[in-house]
Amino acid sequence: MQSTVFLLAALTAAPAFAQSSPLLEILTQELDRNFSTFKQKADPAPYFMAYSVVDEQTDVIAGRLGTLQAKNHGHSRSLDITVRVGTPKFDNYHIVGGERAQFTSGTPIPIEDNPDAIKRRLWMETDRNYRGASQRLTNLRTSTKVNVAAEDTSDDFSLEPPSVYTEPMKHMTVNAEEWAAKVRKWSGELAKYPGVLSGAVTVLFQNETKYLVTTEGTRLQHGRGFARIVISAQGKASDGMDLSASDTFEAAEATGLPNEVSVIAAVNKVGKDLDALLKAPTVDPFVGPAILSGRASGVFFHEIFGHRVEGHRQRDESDGQTFTKRIDKSVLPDFLSVVFDPTRAKIGDVDLNGTYLYDDEGVKARPVVAVDKGILKTFLMSRSPIKDLPQSNGHGRRQAGAEVVSRQSNLIVESSKMVPEAELRNMLIAEIKRQGKPYGLYFQNISGGFTFTGRRGLQAFKVIPLIVYRIYPDGKPDELVRGVNIVGTPLASFSRIVATSDKPEVFNGYCGAESGNVPVSAVSPAILVSEIEIQRKEKGNDRPPLLLPPFLTGGSE
Amino acid sequence: MKLSRSLALALLTAVAATTLLSDSKKGAPPTPADSSDTGVLKDLPQVGKKKADESTPEPVKQVPNAPVVPVVRAPRATSPVVAGDPILRAMKDELERTQTMNLAGYSPYYIEYYMEDGHSFNVSASLGAIIGTGVGHSRIPQMRIRVGDYKFDNSNYLYSDYYAGTRYDPETWPIDDDYKAFRRDLWLGSDRTFKTAVEAIARKKAAMQNVNSQNQDIPDFWKGSPVQKILPVKTQPVDQAKWTDRIRDLSKVFEKYPEVLGSQVAFQALQGTRYMENSEGAAIRTPDNVFYIQTRVLGQASDGMTLRDSIVFQALDIDKLPAQADMEKTVTDLGEHIRQLAAAPVGETYSGPVLFEGAAAPQLLAELLGANLNVPRKPISEPGRNYPFYPSDLEGRVGSRILPEFLDVVDDPTQTVYNGVPLFGTYEIDDEGVAAPPLTIVEKGYLKTLLLTRQPVKGFNSSNGRARLPGASGASTATMSNLIVRSSQSVPLADLRKQMMQMCQQRNKPYGIIVRKMDFPSSASVEEVRRIMQGISQSGSASKPVSIPLLAYRVYPNGKEELIRGVRFRALNVRALKDITAVSSETQVFNFLNNLAPFALMGAGGYIAAESVVAPALLFDDLELERPQEDMPKLPVVPPPALTASR
Repeated sequence: MQSTVFLLAALTAAPAFAQSSPLLEILTQELDRNFSTFKQKADPAPYFMAYSVVDEQTDVIAGRLGTLQAKNHGHSRSLDITVRVGTPKFDNYHIVGGERAQFTSGTPIPIEDNPDAIKRRLWMETDRNYRGASQRLTNLRTSTKVNVAAEDTSDDFSLEPPSVYTEPMKHMTVNAEEWAAKVRKWSGELAKYPGVLSGAVTVLFQNETKYLVTTEGTRLQHGRGFARIVISAQGKASDGMDLSASDTFEAAEATGLPNEVSVIAAVNKVGKDLDALLKAPTVDPFVGPAILSGRASGVFFHEIFGHRVEGHRQRDESDGQTFTKRIDKSVLPDFLSVVFDPTRAKIGDVDLNGTYLYDDEGVKARPVVAVDKGILKTFLMSRSPIKDLPQSNGHGRRQAGAEVVSRQSNLIVESSKMVPEAELRNMLIAEIKRQGKPYGLYFQNISGGFTFTGRRGLQAFKVIPLIVYRIYPDGKPDELVRGVNIVGTPLASFSRIVATSDKPEVFNGYCGAESGNVPVSAVSPAILVSEIEIQRKEKGNDRPPLLLPPFLTGGSE
Repeated sequence: MKLSRSLALALLTAVAATTLLSDSKKGAPPTPADSSDTGVLKDLPQVGKKKADESTPEPVKQVPNAPVVPVVRAPRATSPVVAGDPILRAMKDELERTQTMNLAGYSPYYIEYYMEDGHSFNVSASLGAIIGTGVGHSRIPQMRIRVGDYKFDNSNYLYSDYYAGTRYDPETWPIDDDYKAFRRDLWLGSDRTFKTAVEAIARKKAAMQNVNSQNQDIPDFWKGSPVQKILPVKTQPVDQAKWTDRIRDLSKVFEKYPEVLGSQVAFQALQGTRYMENSEGAAIRTPDNVFYIQTRVLGQASDGMTLRDSIVFQALDIDKLPAQADMEKTVTDLGEHIRQLAAAPVGETYSGPVLFEGAAAPQLLAELLGANLNVPRKPISEPGRNYPFYPSDLEGRVGSRILPEFLDVVDDPTQTVYNGVPLFGTYEIDDEGVAAPPLTIVEKGYLKTLLLTRQPVKGFNSSNGRARLPGASGASTATMSNLIVRSSQSVPLADLRKQMMQMCQQRNKPYGIIVRKMDFPSSASVEEVRRIMQGISQSGSASKPVSIPLLAYRVYPNGKEELIRGVRFRALNVRALKDITAVSSETQVFNFLNNLAPFALMGAGGYIAAESVVAPALLFDDLELERPQEDMPKLPVVPPPALTASR
């Protein structure tokens, strides 16, 4: 199996050994033909063009409470074209009043390397993109004349050295029947828990090869493999509150996934967690000290910090721009640093989801130290410059079909004030007593969150905790509670981090924003915060099912 | 038949077709758009929770005066066939439990479980290269529960289908045959559907405190007579490798046509089984298979006008699809059409006799007559809440003359062939479990009946088994089956042409117009459809727009024909059919897939019904054609890449 050569190995492999696909040549030929003809005949003529193709093979095998729900295989190629007209100083991608341009549409192209068929599609899609590009530039030229001068007068496009790199296409073969039997068995475990109304175990395998050719000479063919197990269970408490529990495993290939014993244990943990949640008391609004587990803290940082250091927001006049003018200023406690490192493939045994060699604009990936000992150093940059940051740092990313913006990769929180986890708990109890609170909170697991960075809305964030415990200072056992939402405003939350544990944890997921869903990781040790604010989440109005289930014990007939 | 989502292939510019045009089937209030324009870190799919529209009133929780409807039903014996099928058995067993549900004084008076099991295979290609293939198996359930009684229930209300709670039953069923799993899914689905029904009837009653509906004297639901029809499940193996090769080969035809700027051939094999049981005792398991190959081509004239053509080969049995050589020949015609259209003159505004020949005649009738035979019912709405509603052009016209007196029209789902040509709209029992008899729709020019579902329509008293596509507000949509036009006086086609030329001569027209193909089902992009519809409504037609002619010819007195492009009909609607002057003795069968989208737009809509129209050539005394005053796109700056394979 060729895919055993993955990122770490690929980084050291000599590109010359890898065979480039005929697709790269087809893309190059048609790009050159279009670009040179435009140069001669078009007004305005493009100064930059790029063809980007994502070849994706996906297998999804889903089990639900002991039965096979779906077994799908797909193979597709999606084309995104960039045509830039005008000059790097001012082109058709220029942002006016927060309005971002969308030219590409992620057109399907043949999965067979047939030059005639592919070139026709490239040509037709190029024409469509060029029309959109030239029309917008013409509009912009008149529009900026009437608008007041923008605060940030940076260029619209940075010049970067071209990248040339080829690695073999990924080929992962999936035995769908074998996995179907597994998801049946695994998801069947959830049927043992009477509170589970809906429970599923899904496995996903993906081989992705990305191709990029640009008129600057970039020629890239690189990819990644991806395997994932998602366990999820949902139920409804007697008061109508919807509750869920989940767990996931990610790896760069199928062999990196945990063994069956571990998966079954995780499935049962999810079932037990949900059952316990259904019986747990609901929380009351609370302000007080808390520990966020490493995974919970990772999401916390991703939402409240990561999204606010994405470069393009610093230039977007509709954005809140929390950090825009805070470079070289303190934004976090001085024992914390934050690095975005797409070149990092693993933390411990865990493959990181936000790893890549080149970003979606062909810029070589590199670690970016965003915060050094509490001081904000830089932003995540695509090829769209902002004031004082004229170059990309390899964080221009997108899902096929969207335009690139700056996005996160592997967010890694580093701490110089680390204590063992037991000690962190003691510190929490001391803090509860010091503040005279009846209890503190422990956030064990979190499903995700969202944040608003817009200027008009409240500069707030919300993360959705799944498993939260009350920790009592008097030795009373920890108590699971349900219905917790963390609320707050970003800057205030950062200043209240007191200490961290010494054990980093990984949260792998997908981040959705302007340029679609991109794979990311958030890595952090557990953190102790002196003050966190929670509210009770909204509760459904509908009641639990009126009739008892048809069978009180689950399983298949 | 449910069209699997992944199979809706987008061609060239029609990327957004499915998402833009498929939202019309449910009447749920709009959910507020997610306003977060920033990061959403997702780890897991959340349980699909719909947020209530802020402007919708609070759901009514208690209905103190709600009538308690006694549920009295004879116990049903389980037939051995039902017992042997885990799906039917699960439906029967859970149906009995669901009848005991009670909330706020309501119990179900009607329960219907419907499930469509579908195996699909699709492959698409362009210029000899495969674009994508897909294999799928899905089981899509649909449940209906009615509370109240036949006279007044939860349906026919704008928010009949709207559920404010969390959905726990899955949108697709397991693909394993697992009785217990089906029972479980039916249990959760029934719970959601019943709660939806109780909430809807309460809100409907509240709304009726303030509005008078024109339909409030008509009952909400017609009783059905229980049909039991359990046929064997019939799934033919599809030779995927063979069809992949055939489609790739077919797509190579356009290597010889550089004028064809974009082309795509797509094959779909949809093999379904419908399962249905209801509380009236109906039990149905019937196969529902469709196989089709869509070919679409795109070109551009030197003035920038977009040129299109398309052809669909379809059959209910995979072995009845045309032979490869025949398909290649027909597909080659598309290339020829683009070549000829690129060189053809733009038509001028015209008013005079028009002859619809070949496919154009049944295509026209499918749009003007067929689509209007379904009479949608305007649901009860909230006061002050307006929503788009398009009534049928034939509403209230039963008993009136709509065609010349020499024409009869029947809709006959029992007929399988016409003059040796297989008909596509053949079926026995509709989606609501009602047997479908042949119907005389038009007799000697007079409209006799409409196509009906179990949703009552004024002037009628029972369904005639035409519920074949989903509808809004708890109802189904009626569609035709095999619509066959018969004439008591006809002439050979050649004479019809002569007749047209005589009419031209009498009126001093330099030429007459023959239309041989309409753009129906249309291969236009969504953007183009929008432009066409806008253009048509601006040119003064109050009725549903009719598709544009793809192949229209000027015919001169000397018999010379000249292809023209870029014309469309002005104000053409069902009323024009009264003025058909004469018809031919030759007839044409036209089979197509209806998806309720404008012009039956290919790739739009989530559901399809196979339909047929059989019609003679139609000569109209006086129709108007106009030349749209739209701006045309410029030619591409870069010429198309050379085709190397044909050299």
